[in-house]
Amino acid sequence: MVLLWLMAIPLIGSFVVLIAGGRLAKGLSAGIGVIELIAFIVLLAHGPVALNYRWIPAWGVRFHVGADGLSLFLIGLTAVLTLMAIFASRGSFGRAYFFWVLFLEFGMVGLFESLDLVLFYVFWEVILVPIFFLLTGYSGEKGRPAAMKWLIMNLVGSLFMLIGIVAVAVIHAQPFGSLTFEISRLTDVKLGPAVAPWIFASFFVAFAIKAPLWPFHGWMPDAYREAPPPVTALLSGVMSKAGIYGFLRIMLPLFMPQLRHYQVGLLIFAVIGLAYGAFMALRQTDMKMISAYSSLSHMGMMALGVFSLTAAGILGATFLMVAHGLIVGGLFIVLGILEDKTKTREVEVMGGLNDDAPRLGAYFLFFALAALGLPGLPGFVGEYLIIQGLVAHDVVFALIAAVVLIVAAWYMVRLFQGVMQAQRRGSPIGDINALQVGYIASLALLIVFLGVYPAGITLHAAPSLYHAVHLVATKGGHGL
Amino acid sequence: MSASTALLPEYIVVVAVLVTMIAAMIRRPGGTVASWVALIGILGALWATIDLWTMHIHPAVFFNQSLTVDNYSLFVNVLVLIAASSTLLLGWTGEREHEEFPILVLIAALGMMSLGMVGNLIALFLGIEVLSLPLYVLSASHRTVLGGEAGLKYLLLGAFSSGILLFGLALVYGATGTMNFVDFASSVNVHSPLLAAGLMLTLVGLLFKLGIVPFHMWVPDVYEGSPMPVTNFMAFGTKVGAAVILLRLLAYGFYMSPQDWGPALGYLALLTMIVGNLLALPQNDLKRLFGYSGIGHAGFLLIGVAVHSVVGAKAMLFYLLPYGLAVIGAFAILTMMGTDKETVTISDLAGMARQKPWAAALFIVFMFSFAGIPLTGGFVGKLYLLQAALFAHQPGLAIGLVLGTFLGLGAYLRPLQAMFRTRQGESNMAGWNVNWSHVVVLVVAVVGTVGLGVYPTPVVHWVSQSANFFWLH
Repeated sequence: MVLLWLMAIPLIGSFVVLIAGGRLAKGLSAGIGVIELIAFIVLLAHGPVALNYRWIPAWGVRFHVGADGLSLFLIGLTAVLTLMAIFASRGSFGRAYFFWVLFLEFGMVGLFESLDLVLFYVFWEVILVPIFFLLTGYSGEKGRPAAMKWLIMNLVGSLFMLIGIVAVAVIHAQPFGSLTFEISRLTDVKLGPAVAPWIFASFFVAFAIKAPLWPFHGWMPDAYREAPPPVTALLSGVMSKAGIYGFLRIMLPLFMPQLRHYQVGLLIFAVIGLAYGAFMALRQTDMKMISAYSSLSHMGMMALGVFSLTAAGILGATFLMVAHGLIVGGLFIVLGILEDKTKTREVEVMGGLNDDAPRLGAYFLFFALAALGLPGLPGFVGEYLIIQGLVAHDVVFALIAAVVLIVAAWYMVRLFQGVMQAQRRGSPIGDINALQVGYIASLALLIVFLGVYPAGITLHAAPSLYHAVHLVATKGGHGL
Repeated sequence: MSASTALLPEYIVVVAVLVTMIAAMIRRPGGTVASWVALIGILGALWATIDLWTMHIHPAVFFNQSLTVDNYSLFVNVLVLIAASSTLLLGWTGEREHEEFPILVLIAALGMMSLGMVGNLIALFLGIEVLSLPLYVLSASHRTVLGGEAGLKYLLLGAFSSGILLFGLALVYGATGTMNFVDFASSVNVHSPLLAAGLMLTLVGLLFKLGIVPFHMWVPDVYEGSPMPVTNFMAFGTKVGAAVILLRLLAYGFYMSPQDWGPALGYLALLTMIVGNLLALPQNDLKRLFGYSGIGHAGFLLIGVAVHSVVGAKAMLFYLLPYGLAVIGAFAILTMMGTDKETVTISDLAGMARQKPWAAALFIVFMFSFAGIPLTGGFVGKLYLLQAALFAHQPGLAIGLVLGTFLGLGAYLRPLQAMFRTRQGESNMAGWNVNWSHVVVLVVAVVGTVGLGVYPTPVVHWVSQSANFFWLH
């Protein structure tokens, strides 16, 4: 039941905010965010659960939702980051803004819970809509082309994935004559050599666009730059994980032979993305763009972990999804506060702000260090596991990944130094207030906890990944 | 079962036409008596249809096989009655609609209803003409320059296509020696060139009504010039009538020789989906935009016919419902916006999100249903059509559907983004005219659209019962 409540709370809440709204909108949605978080804690206490109802029996479409080690912590990430984003949002945006934020939370939770392909696809497209309107309505004239690009690029991918979904189900139904869209029952589908590459590509491109992975990241710079900072935090923190989650949830069980077949090519793509993101981050002057490209680089890292097709790599990717979501979400929120205070995003016109805002500086430094993968913080754990997986598969990719991690340290430190240290170039600003310290500090505490006790996630995630990894082993990959 | 029972919905509409004529004669200027009478007639016919449905009748054949009452025709009745009642309600205020408006709507609805049940060539032609003639008059009923052009263009091209249709029907009769669809397959001349020519001309005549490329030229001009409620009726009702008769004719009369017409319809569907949606992209006039998008949707519908399978028939029949609900919803909003003028352009929508947030939200829902975004009925319809295309091993149609959807999305996003633009100069939201009748249409449309998207199961079930042409596979 708690699975349904996790979906129902933000959905009902969003309409409550829309109707009751007005001045109360921000407080009300923060309250709903807290309730959602409590519901997640209840779910955490429950452990893995699943529900399976009939939805459209004529097509074998089922309302099959569940939370296992793979999705449990992504649901938690959604709950935490949405709450942070609500705190960080301006109350003056009005009720429609908070409606869309909560609706986005509904869509994300639904996506992470879905175990039926049609249901998954429904939420996959539903999450496009709130982002489209958040970009269209709340980020000025430049936001509209960004929103257009966002929706159109993502829909190209997902519409072709829809053909792929129906094609898989139809091919699976051919000998027996009954349709099913449940992922667990489709795993034994036999794709002929003529159609397999096309169906594989339809899924792969959809997930790669959503993540985004190089070279499918065309929508990313505009959307990340133009969105209001809390929305950017949600985009890069939660939304981007949907793509990697799709690889883990759908592609590993359904397309293992194809993944094996194209593995080297996929690893090369991922490693190019990793390096491309890092070097692009190095030459940006807009602080939001630096973290946007660093996020692109990290998505490449997660993809490397998945495509290594080893237990350690996949576990590392799972862990890094949650860790990176929290870290980059916090980073974008801090950057948003900075932008609010200085009215600019250019690193070159800032500097020396540490004297004015020591508390803000401390949290900024914390998130920057977490993002570059400082040992003791969770980013390091994920990256370590991924590199371990890569070493087991092919040491060349591990070497490249390690080199890029050094570049990551470079651009992150450069960002922090440019803004907070160095010569003062702009006018003085005020420090963050107690409320801001409150929510940023709790996010930081959560990150520290995951850094020193990663087993909190990996112990839960490993059994769920066992099935996927088992498939890897039986279909010709490296097992544990 | 006697004809008077099985044809009760149609008889009710016929009686309603006569009573509405009398009511129109005694009505005061601006009065709504005639509209009330017509609406009650439609609701009565709807009640009779549902009653017949619950009786689980077997297909009943009347008048020497010219009319067949089965679940298919009953489902079509429901669609047509929704279209007709929404048209009446949108044209309710009576300031610009004349006395003949409800009468003509009822007669056209009768033609559409009969198209769902015809089983022979004469009834087919009569149905098409009963549908068309009132619409020729209705499209010019506002007596504006554009309206006159629309009416004349519709009349001339419509008459031309009727001529082609009639010629085709005559050739089919000549080749087979029978008027009844079901006897075509058993006639001796199954592969005669005469029959092929007759079938081709018949299809051209019907595809013209459906608005399939390359017979689509009249659609945007007629939509643009016609009064808003009439455009709504043409966009929904005419599509229903033309699509269901096409399916009935091919599934009953030519099921033995799908290789003669299936590929041709498949290519036309492909062409229509792409061209219709592509031409919708640059439109600024929303009625023209809906005209071109309606062409694109006709292409989607044609997939269901072209694949020649029972899944295809069901998918086509299903798709008509979410499409129609989105049409009546969108036109309800346009009618509310522009009662004093004929057209609404995209720039007229500027500032709507701020000034009329609820109307803007509903408009978003209808546009998303057109575009096939999940949680709206349009998505479920597209999913059904995709299944039909892939079960028939036609990935080309599936890809065409996706490309068409994608192009259409671009067209629907422009009005949506315009709503968020701040308006330069004075607001045009003052001319809003919200009547209870508009609200009724809006509520039905939005509940139906979202309901179909969230829980389509009952409708999928009804459609399965309706389009179960068991001899298809």
